[in-house]
Amino acid sequence: MSQFGSAEPTVEPGEERQSARRTFDDALTGTKDEVLRLGALVESALERAGRALTERDTDLADEVRWSDAEVNELQRTINTRITTIIATQGPVARDVRELLALYHAAVELERMGDYAVSIAKLAQQLAAEPETPLLRQIPEMERLCRSQLRSAMRALVDVSEQEAREMCMRDDELDHLYNSVYNDAVALMESAPERARQAVHMLFVAHHLERLGDRVTNIGEDVVYLVTGQIEDLNP
Amino acid sequence: MDEENDDVTTTHAAIGVNIAPPALEVAHEDAEVTTTQTAPAAAIEVRGLTAHYGTKLAVSDVSLDAGQRSITAIIGPSGSGKSTVLRAMNRMLEVIPGARLEGSVRFHGMDVYDPSIEPAAVRRTIGMVFQQPNPFPTMSIYDNVAAPARFNGMVRGRVETDQLVERSLRLAALWGEVKDVLGKSGASLSGGQQQRLCIARALAVNPEVILMDEPCSALDPIATLQIEELARQLSKEYTIVIVTHNMQQAARVSDETIFMSMSPERGGYVVETGPTTRIFTNPSNKLTEDYITGRFG
Repeated sequence: MSQFGSAEPTVEPGEERQSARRTFDDALTGTKDEVLRLGALVESALERAGRALTERDTDLADEVRWSDAEVNELQRTINTRITTIIATQGPVARDVRELLALYHAAVELERMGDYAVSIAKLAQQLAAEPETPLLRQIPEMERLCRSQLRSAMRALVDVSEQEAREMCMRDDELDHLYNSVYNDAVALMESAPERARQAVHMLFVAHHLERLGDRVTNIGEDVVYLVTGQIEDLNP
Repeated sequence: MDEENDDVTTTHAAIGVNIAPPALEVAHEDAEVTTTQTAPAAAIEVRGLTAHYGTKLAVSDVSLDAGQRSITAIIGPSGSGKSTVLRAMNRMLEVIPGARLEGSVRFHGMDVYDPSIEPAAVRRTIGMVFQQPNPFPTMSIYDNVAAPARFNGMVRGRVETDQLVERSLRLAALWGEVKDVLGKSGASLSGGQQQRLCIARALAVNPEVILMDEPCSALDPIATLQIEELARQLSKEYTIVIVTHNMQQAARVSDETIFMSMSPERGGYVVETGPTTRIFTNPSNKLTEDYITGRFG
C-alpha cells in the first residue's frame, strides 16, 4: 500500500518554519525604519523652511537647501534596498504590496523634500524684498502639511487603513486654504501693485504646500492599496 | 463555439463514449472555498473528491475545475494531496494498491469513472508527465515518441510515423535539437531534453489534457524555463494542469491557481481557487496568504 504523505510532517499554519521569513521580515522592518527616517527628515525640512519664511532667516533657508542632499541619498538607498529585496526574496501578495507602497512613499517623500527646498528659496527671495506681512494662511498650511505628513507616516508604519482615509479627507482643508491665499494674493496685487512680487512669491509658497499635501494623500492611497489590494483615488 | 464543440465531440469519440457537449456547473457548494467566476470553461470538473490510501485519508471533499486551453496550477504544502487529485483526474490513482476514492471527475461533463470507459483511453486523452523524466531507456528518441502511437494503432507506415514524430517533437520544442540524432537513445539526452521528450511522447497520442506532476523539480533553471515556456505555448491548444512546489513557477506559468492545505481531520482540501494574478497579489484567504508569503508550509 502506498504510504502517501506519511513521511511528511503535518505543518499547521503558523506553527513552524517562521524562521523561513526571518531574513525577509528583518529586511522589511529595516526598510520601514528608513522610510520613517526619510519622513522625519522631510518634516524637519518643511518646518525649517516655514520658519525661514516667517522669520526672514536666509541662513536657515540655506540650511534647508543643503540638507536636501541627505533626503535624496536616503531615498536612493531605500529604493535600492527594496529593489534588492524584490529581486532576491521574490515577495508576493501583501509582502509585495507593502514593498511597493514603501518604494512609492520614498519617491513621494523625496519630492516633498524638493517642495521644502523651493519654499526655502522663496523665503530667501521674500527676505530680499521690503517686508510685507505674510498671508496669515501660509503658516497654517505649513503646520497642516506637517500634521498630514505625520499621519501618513503613522498610517504607513501601522498599516492603518482608517488613519490613511481620515488623513486624505483632511486634504480638503489645505485646498480651501490655498484658494483663500490665491484670493488674498490677487487682492494684494490689486490694492498694492508695488507688492505684487511678494504676493506672487507667497502664492507660489501656498501652491507648493498644496501640492505637497496632494503627495501626502498619495501615500494614504498606497496604504489603502496595501491593506485592501484595491487602487482608490482618495483625493479626487 | 462551434469549433470548440467539434473538438469536444472528437475527444469523446476517442474515449469511446458519445456524449453531448458539457453543461457547466455554476459554483462549488463548499462555502469555505473561495472561488471566482472568471475562469475559462472547464475541461475537467472534480466534485466532492475524497481519496484514501488504505485507512489513511489523503484528500476530502475536493471540488475544482481545470479550465479548457489554459494552465491550472495546484500548489500547497507537502501532504496536501496535490498529486492525489492530479492522479484522480486520469485514473492513475487506482493503480496504487489500497487507493480508493469517492466523488466525481468529469471530462467535458462525462464521468471518467463510468464503468463503460476504459482507463487506458482516459489516460491517452488526459496524459501525464512526471517529476522524473522517464523516457523508455532502451528505445531511440524516434521510437520513444512513436511507440505509444503505434501501440494504440494511431499511425500506419513509415511516412505517417515520421510525420507524427516530427510534429510531436516540434510541439515539444525539441525537434531542432534532436532531428539529426533521432536514432540515439532517449537516455542520452539531458534532463530537460528528456522531459520534453516525455511531453512529445504524451502529445503523440493526441491528448486534450496534459497533467504535469512537478515536471521541473529535477531540472536546472534554464531547462525549467524551457518547460514553462513550452507549457505556455501548449496551453493555446491543450488543457494543462500542473502540480508544483515552486510557487514562483505557478505564478509565472499558470492562468488559474488552486491552493490546497491539509489538517489531520480533513486530510488535503482546497482552500482557495482563482486567477493566478489575484492569488499572488491579493489572495482572499489568510491561509493562502500565509502559505505563499512563506509564513507556513
